[in-house]
Amino acid sequence: MSILANALMALRGINSNKLRSLLTMLGVLIGVAAVIVLLAVGTGSSQAVANSINQLGTNTLTVFSSGRFGGGTSQTGTQTRNAVLTQTDVKLISDPNNAPDVQSVSPVITTSETATYQGASATTSVIGSTPSYLPASNYTVQSGRSISSADVKAHALVVDLGSSTASSLFATGSNPLGKQVQLGSSEFTVIGLLASKGSSGLSNGDAVAIAPYTAVQDQLTGESQSFSELLVQGKSSATLSLAQSEVESILAAQNDTTVSNLPFTVLNQASLLSTATSSSKTFTALLGWVAAVSLLVGAIGVMNIMLVTVTERTREIGIRKAIGAPKSVVLGQFLIEAVVISLLGGVLGVLAGLFVVRFRIDGVQPVLATYSIPLAFGVALLVGIFAGLYPAFRAASLRPIDALRHE
Amino acid sequence: MGPDRSPERWPVIALSNIVKRYVMGGNDVYATRGVSLRVSRGEFVAIMGASGSGKSTLMNIIGCLDVPTSGHYRLDGVNIRDLDDRELSRIRNRKIGFVFQGFNLLPTMSAIANVELPMAYAGVPTKERHHRAQGALETVGLADRMGHFPNEMSGGQQQRVAVARAIVTNPSLILADEPTGNLDSTSSLDVMSAFASLHAQGRTVVMITHEEDIAAYATRVVRLRDGVITQDHHQTPAHPHESHLAHARQAEGTSALAGRP
Repeated sequence: MSILANALMALRGINSNKLRSLLTMLGVLIGVAAVIVLLAVGTGSSQAVANSINQLGTNTLTVFSSGRFGGGTSQTGTQTRNAVLTQTDVKLISDPNNAPDVQSVSPVITTSETATYQGASATTSVIGSTPSYLPASNYTVQSGRSISSADVKAHALVVDLGSSTASSLFATGSNPLGKQVQLGSSEFTVIGLLASKGSSGLSNGDAVAIAPYTAVQDQLTGESQSFSELLVQGKSSATLSLAQSEVESILAAQNDTTVSNLPFTVLNQASLLSTATSSSKTFTALLGWVAAVSLLVGAIGVMNIMLVTVTERTREIGIRKAIGAPKSVVLGQFLIEAVVISLLGGVLGVLAGLFVVRFRIDGVQPVLATYSIPLAFGVALLVGIFAGLYPAFRAASLRPIDALRHE
Repeated sequence: MGPDRSPERWPVIALSNIVKRYVMGGNDVYATRGVSLRVSRGEFVAIMGASGSGKSTLMNIIGCLDVPTSGHYRLDGVNIRDLDDRELSRIRNRKIGFVFQGFNLLPTMSAIANVELPMAYAGVPTKERHHRAQGALETVGLADRMGHFPNEMSGGQQQRVAVARAIVTNPSLILADEPTGNLDSTSSLDVMSAFASLHAQGRTVVMITHEEDIAAYATRVVRLRDGVITQDHHQTPAHPHESHLAHARQAEGTSALAGRP
């Protein structure tokens, strides 16, 4: 007897009890869909974390005072002074002799201001920096131009607007370039518009206004010799750790202290990313295991229903064996029946999973993990085989006379 | 009927000193205590006995559904003791056609699909299977009921489907276990006339029954009591009267029609 004929017989068995077969399938369906959806949620959330870390820039180190709001301190003998990031630090770090693995250093002053233009207003974070800040933190100029070194030197009141700040202030279709925007109490001229970075995580990278730090100091924060932070771009991701130790030893020397007592925090974007990635991997694996449990419950459902089916059809098995069905055919019939139920459940589960993944779940946009489809499908197949094996074996080993006597 | 390829010199059934012992609650219970029986080709044998006489055990052994505790059984010259599970199912498939008291048709399959089933296990190609099943159903007078399901047929019709299923593989032996046990007298007559015509065609039929008027159709009656043969005699079989049969057929047809919603 061919496998095909046996499969047809199994399909007839499934068809003869549609509701029960459907409910059994539902168990596998939910399990498979859960695996796909939860893995997609895990992947989606880890990508969201990675994106928000990438918004910090490419191969960047962020240097800021350890007690950011209280002011860092360093002790040298009896003298205590506030540790601040100064123009001297910027010069030393940007010197290739001191720090060969550093590409650029951008001093950063940040403040939050209300921007207004002809009655429209928006709260925006104003970033005072140098031209190198834009490429280091992944900003690209969509139209107009970036702030220049000349602007910085001239304390020019010019500004590059992030896309969401620009759209809050200007009507769609109008050209903001050359317009005077009020930031705090001063008027700045819009010289460039930035392409959207897309918002992710906590910060909106598009609600910004980037101006020369000299102008920001003049007009908004007041004259000061210190910066809120330094954005250091390394030459490559591979040498970012080298760049970090170079920056740390320069700062330690400047503040007469050791690297371990450094009053500054140097955030390494690459190490942040790897920490976040490893924790989100754990998270995804955990979700996967939860889904696996529901698939296991589905498997138990298949096994249970196959055992019921075998008991219910004992007489049928007896008839088949009496008229000459060998053990292998009976085994095959019930095994195929279990596998077909699980596989159909698996196919429908994959479809359901693909459908659900299109929606945001708890603020996370799920990202389909391609491996999850063959994984869920393969597991569904194995579930069918394992859950079907014992009931099918029981059916096959029934003695025909006992089976025929069964009521 | 295809050419019979099995050697003519062997009896279809050769039982010698068959003993079947069961263990029940720690005690040995003997269902048969040494039964010897030879059935030749073309015989129509009725095995009779009260319940507990061992006739069901004997039927299971003859049908290769059970193996004896001791003694030898040759079916068509093949020693059954030497066979494993797989070979036994093959023997049942090729050499024996079963007709059970409770019809034992598969309720999810049409009449013709039920008749085709043993050939499916024998590996007969689909087309030939269908053709032969049609022929078998015609033989038992059910040419017009092929697509019907068991629950759409009367008991007599279901049993005739079972007879068609039994003969379709062209077996050496047709083995019937109380074939009229669940039937009224007109349906019984119908089924018995089907057996009588199979016998007339030269087939070997062994039938288990406890009803004297059913046993009257056989050419030989074997009586069992307490696991041993007490009587074994040949007789002239009764034949269902032609007009009686026609009347029965008609009654069957009307009742089947009337019974349909």
